[in-house]
Amino acid sequence: MRAVVFDGVVLGLQFGLLGVGLTLVYGLAGVLNLAQGQLAVLGAIVAALRIDAGTAVIPAVLAGVAVAGTVGLVLDLTLMRPVYRRRGEDRVLLGLLLMLGVAFIIDGVLVWRYPIEALTLRIGGDPVDILGVRMRTGSLLASAIALGVGAVLVLFLRYATTGKAVRSVIQDEEGAQLCGVSPATVRAFVFALSGALAALVAVTRSMTSPVTVNAGIDFTILALIVAVVGGLGSVSGAFLAGILLGIVNTVSAHYIGTYVTTIILLGAAAVTIVLRPSGLLGAGRE
Amino acid sequence: MIRQAATVGREGTPAVRAYAPVLLAVALVALLPLRYGDSRSMMGVVIGGVLFACYTIGFNVIFGSTGQLFLCTGALAGLGGYASAILSERHGLPMVLAMLLASLVAAAAGGLLSWIAVSRSLGVIFTGIVTLTFALAFQNLLLGQRDLTGGETGLVVDAGSETLLGEEVAPFYVFVALLAAYLALFRALQRSHFGWAFRALRDDEIAAELAGVDVKRYRVFAGTLGSGMIGLAGALYAHSEGFISPSTFSFGEVDVLVIVMLAFGGIGSLLGPVVGAAAFTVLEEWMDSFNEYRLIIYGSVILVLFLALPRGVVPTVQRLVGRLRRRRARGRRPAPAAQPPVDTLAPR
Repeated sequence: MRAVVFDGVVLGLQFGLLGVGLTLVYGLAGVLNLAQGQLAVLGAIVAALRIDAGTAVIPAVLAGVAVAGTVGLVLDLTLMRPVYRRRGEDRVLLGLLLMLGVAFIIDGVLVWRYPIEALTLRIGGDPVDILGVRMRTGSLLASAIALGVGAVLVLFLRYATTGKAVRSVIQDEEGAQLCGVSPATVRAFVFALSGALAALVAVTRSMTSPVTVNAGIDFTILALIVAVVGGLGSVSGAFLAGILLGIVNTVSAHYIGTYVTTIILLGAAAVTIVLRPSGLLGAGRE
Repeated sequence: MIRQAATVGREGTPAVRAYAPVLLAVALVALLPLRYGDSRSMMGVVIGGVLFACYTIGFNVIFGSTGQLFLCTGALAGLGGYASAILSERHGLPMVLAMLLASLVAAAAGGLLSWIAVSRSLGVIFTGIVTLTFALAFQNLLLGQRDLTGGETGLVVDAGSETLLGEEVAPFYVFVALLAAYLALFRALQRSHFGWAFRALRDDEIAAELAGVDVKRYRVFAGTLGSGMIGLAGALYAHSEGFISPSTFSFGEVDVLVIVMLAFGGIGSLLGPVVGAAAFTVLEEWMDSFNEYRLIIYGSVILVLFLALPRGVVPTVQRLVGRLRRRRARGRRPAPAAQPPVDTLAPR
């Protein structure tokens, strides 16, 4: 039982990291980034190609993360401009549709050029005992990275000047502008950050199971569910939701069976949204 | 108030003029077999287009009229398709009865989702996510309940093969009849007190509520009716195609297309779904020869279209026509400009 829960936490931390990027972009820009999973896969494939070309693992991974971050930045600076000129539901819908188009293009390019590419990072070393459960080094490293990045993010948003600027725009765009914060700059920064985070998730995920070219849509759906259950705009909420859903996932996969698991997972997400529409740690209603 | 206004009709348009676009669109679609009737595969493509026009009208009733983003069109159609197939194949119900019962099942499911969304007052995104989880769960159920649904291998549906639906061109006209019925129904809704209420609640929900429009009731009604329409179309398709599998009704195969078609044609407009379905059916067919770049082309088309025509084709054309007409009216006599025809449920 303990081992199963631990596995759930490992998985959940990845879920959380995945949700964070989506939640920040939505909280900030009102854009539901449906290409989040595709950005993740893009990063993973770039890393895999660098590794194939003989680059060492760490620079290769950094290259993947950088590419995904750059694509995020470029998207914000070009395609999202007309979206930001709109308000309310119009903005949500146009942002969603344009990002869907982007997702198709990234997916199409990757599947066309590299149909069988996949990123698998083998982390050597013996399993480590933690509270009497033998954990694989890969899982531990992946969780450590997710936890580390999550902690840095939370601290950054709370204490750093840029972090405070991000939060101020999430709370009140006009108010932030009056205080001398440029929402456009903050948005560009967060878009790049969310691309980089997405690629990082794909990298940590590849330490426990391969990330294939067509995994984008699954990543996106998971990110959506995690972000919404956690409360759109809340970083710690995304992690909490990720961990809870991760545990639900592994526990029911272990005791009930895989196909029911997905249904239970989705049901859990739906029930949370219905009971608490603002999410577990969401600040309030939209 | 609303009922009184409704008796006047939509800006007093006589019924003939109000239903003319429906007749025209259906007549144009009905002529398609003249060109493609000799090719079985092309007829399949055309039927697919009409089917998606029907799905999109159902989705338009839900999303276009009352702003509830249902991301489960595929699942509702699948509910209709599978329920109808199972009722007629396993339980020996007559086909038409099975199809009607199946669309009631879909209507009930959609109504329930709508009721949940409305009573918890979920916003657009949250309604979207809840319905998306329903769609994904339904997909998993189809795959998991092998003895009932045949799992991934799918289900052969025989009941239609010895009726009209088993013939060459006849199924096409059954679909056209369905399309005509849906378009007429949509127009009738627009002209009734529902149309007034839908327009009011899309424009400003709180103002509508204050003016005495029961926003919740209209939303649930639209959710139920639209879902029933989608379910019936799915059931009809199951019987005419003779085979269904989970991928027939998957999110990627149905919902993505339906949303794109409606947004392209014009959200809330009468003919938007038909225009959108026609455009994207042609596009899909044209892309068939570029299979490798299919996704890339698709994505680029979506980007270009939505950047250039964010309101959709039908409302844009209507605005242009309205402007021309006003200019001409002004040229003839300097009278106050005529109002452009308001043909959308959701003028923006």
